[in-house]
Amino acid sequence: MNYLKSEEIMELFQNRLGKQAIIDSRIETKIAGIKKNTYQVIWIGVKPNFFKEAVKILVELHYPHFAIISGIDIDKEIELVYHFSIYYGEKGKEISINIFTFLSKDNLNIPTITDLIPGAQTSERETKEMFGVNFEGLPSLPNLFLPYDFPSGVYPLRKDEKGVGVKVSEGDEVKKGE
Amino acid sequence: MMEVSLLEIIGRIIGAIIIAFIGIVVGLFYKGLDRKLAAKMQARLGPPLRQPFLDFFKLMIKENIVPENAVPWIFNGVPVLTLVSALTILFYLPVGSIPPLLSGYGDVILIIYLLTLPAIGMVIGGFASGSPYANVGAQREMVMMMSYELPLVTTVISIGWKLSQVYPQINVFSLEVINNHPIWGLVGPLGFVGAIFLLLTLAVVTPGELSKIPFDVPEAETELAGGLLVEYSGRNLALFSLADATKTIVMASLTIVLFFPYNISPLFHLSGFLAIALDTLFFLVKLFLVIFIEVTFIRVAVARFKIDQVSFAYWVPISLMGLLGLVLIFLDHII
Amino acid sequence: MSNKTYSIPIGPVHPSLKEPMTFHFEIYGERIEKVHLAPGDNHRGIEFMGRQRNPIQIIYLAERICGICSASHPFAFCQAVENAMGIEVPEKAQYIRAIIAELERIHSHILWAGVAAHELGFDSVLFLSWRAREEVLDLLEYLTGNRINYGIFMIGGVRRDITSEQITRIKKTLDYYKEIYGKLEDIFLNDPTIALRTKKVGILSKEEAIQLSAVGPTARASGLNKDVRQDQPYAAYADLEVQAITPEVYSGKVNGDVYDRIVVRLLEIVQSIQIIEQCLANLPEGEIVAEEKLVKLLNLIKKAQGEGIGRHEAPRGEVIHYVKLNQSELPEVWKARAPTYNNLMPWIPMLIGQQIADIPIVLASIDPCIACMDRVTILDRKSGQKNILTKDDLHKLSVEKTRRMAQ
Repeated sequence: MNYLKSEEIMELFQNRLGKQAIIDSRIETKIAGIKKNTYQVIWIGVKPNFFKEAVKILVELHYPHFAIISGIDIDKEIELVYHFSIYYGEKGKEISINIFTFLSKDNLNIPTITDLIPGAQTSERETKEMFGVNFEGLPSLPNLFLPYDFPSGVYPLRKDEKGVGVKVSEGDEVKKGE
Repeated sequence: MMEVSLLEIIGRIIGAIIIAFIGIVVGLFYKGLDRKLAAKMQARLGPPLRQPFLDFFKLMIKENIVPENAVPWIFNGVPVLTLVSALTILFYLPVGSIPPLLSGYGDVILIIYLLTLPAIGMVIGGFASGSPYANVGAQREMVMMMSYELPLVTTVISIGWKLSQVYPQINVFSLEVINNHPIWGLVGPLGFVGAIFLLLTLAVVTPGELSKIPFDVPEAETELAGGLLVEYSGRNLALFSLADATKTIVMASLTIVLFFPYNISPLFHLSGFLAIALDTLFFLVKLFLVIFIEVTFIRVAVARFKIDQVSFAYWVPISLMGLLGLVLIFLDHII
Repeated sequence: MSNKTYSIPIGPVHPSLKEPMTFHFEIYGERIEKVHLAPGDNHRGIEFMGRQRNPIQIIYLAERICGICSASHPFAFCQAVENAMGIEVPEKAQYIRAIIAELERIHSHILWAGVAAHELGFDSVLFLSWRAREEVLDLLEYLTGNRINYGIFMIGGVRRDITSEQITRIKKTLDYYKEIYGKLEDIFLNDPTIALRTKKVGILSKEEAIQLSAVGPTARASGLNKDVRQDQPYAAYADLEVQAITPEVYSGKVNGDVYDRIVVRLLEIVQSIQIIEQCLANLPEGEIVAEEKLVKLLNLIKKAQGEGIGRHEAPRGEVIHYVKLNQSELPEVWKARAPTYNNLMPWIPMLIGQQIADIPIVLASIDPCIACMDRVTILDRKSGQKNILTKDDLHKLSVEKTRRMAQ
């Protein structure tokens, strides 16, 4: 199999998506063991409207292993980090690829990737429940992790007024680092 | 017409009560032994021998819950039916040199019918309890019943047929008669092999009849959470546990009567009370061995089958084995 | 639901499940037509709790995500924080981490073997294999102080050293497992009843495994050559030759059924023993932690900015943790993903078309860890109202829900 180097993968993304689509990109090299072998982690930030295209490029490159979507509430935006890995199956060849994108809270819409990677359904549903992100094309299914009768419009992992605050139980003061 | 005196009837009734009581106590005791030995084989301590008794008393004081969507009279009636039919068989079983309390013309046929009654009872109870688990359990119990009946009947009929050929004048379906004429002495070498096949068949049918691993599909703890019995609690469950203990005794006794009816007293030229006592003791030892091999050992040594596998096993290999035994005994007779 | 099928609920409490999770099966006769998964019964809001803790405290929270993976989660979490901060872990610590992780794999796989046997109704094997598992638990207690929740991981290294006299004790345990491994293999791979119940049951094809992002032994049993220790070697694994184990090694072909999953797990026990031996043979000298003083470490964390992922091949599959630090004591975000999370979807193709009797073993075959998968929940509250519901409110809601369901 013909493996591309991390730099080449980055180039491929830049060429296919165009410069304006990419917010940020970097390659990290990590060292492990006595022999100081290395592995690489790629971070690519894309604009939401180019996101689906970025995943398509990845699928064409090598069907990726999808790990999870991490969501981060940053003031007016929600950042979604999709963790993928490609080129598994051979020693030391695997490259982790993290594609992140920022969604404005006024427009929390992102296309689903379940048509490309069906295994992403669980994670998309979780992100939908926890952050209120709407995945376009994801069938409307009952709550997966939250109770069925959970109030709508409350998203537990949001840090704003739509979240649940920091209070965990009655009489529990907000304490830091005990 | 037979003359029946009042005294005899009263005697029979008292005898029935005593036998039922002893049967249950022995059954529960053997259940305790079975659990203890299984535990030892699994390298653990296991419950004390009296655990089945404790379980029984505990269940008796527990609340008896009838599910909302169950049919109460069927739901409550089935445990009684099951226990009574299992106990009734006891009255037809000879113990050692003690003749059975009741005996008539078709004991064995009656026993086969009575053996299906608890199973049918449990099926009805399962359907009546309105739980999906019990429902599946009841369906499986029906399939099981249809599967193991043929090999069971083949075994019994073969022996009866052989007896009828040797002694045309006697009532061959009486257990007492079968008990007095061991099969091994009546057959030649070919028939001997046939009888061994029949014994094996019965040994495999027994765990099925008793719903023990590997044939415990109707109850299957990890699949159906108790299946048929899932909705039963308190007194009803206690009655089922008694019925199970009694059935174990019954099935093991059937094996003994059909294949190992020998007594130990003639060896010592004993007679009278001492002979009866010794034979009874010997019977209990045989009972223990049979239960140990047919129930305890098998259930420790294998995994649970699936219902289609159980059904296949009984319909094809086990039935064939039984029929082969029958054919061999037949060939032995005509040659 | 059509007239021909009927529905069976399994869970939240059921003998075949060791942890709460609900499944609704639609059954036709004995055959499964449809499966609905409803996890969430075991949510404890761990990621939410992590928001109020600093990374050093989170290690112990991560350890308690699951009792069995109590080395895997902190392993991945520490790696994520180290990657985010740019800390380099001393070589010896990397080796100790690998040793603990492999010991955990041995105990987890034997535990699974026992559970699988129980699901098949083969309780004798359950008792025997769990007895065999005690030895490695004793060793872990000897090395770390705890049977589970080892508390040995620290950001930048480990908290306890492995001394030369401890090495002899480890070798003794490895010898014990080498000795009994033959028996285990004989019981699981040669027993006719186990073969009868597990072959051609719960099949997951390789394509399905790839598309549904299956991980760990579940993926490898379907012939997917995937193991983080091999693909992206981290810590001490970078020095070792770790090969992802697929059933081909044993039987020459891949069926992707439950039997293959047993094969993979059993062979991984051997692999773990070999890895530990190699680690012991090459155990380097030196420091075991990059920054010994916790206050200083915490100050470093407070200054750090960056994000990192940590991946580790847990007994059940790949664990991935993502941490983002933002010059604060508390991490901006902490995301934990356990293997069962990804193995949730592969359950569906495995279960459809199987019999009711296969449900327990198929469910068990991915070695589910519901506690790992369900991590996030909060207490109920009405929208617009910041308070927690009182007991009376909850009671009222509960009664209402019961009525609603009864209709």
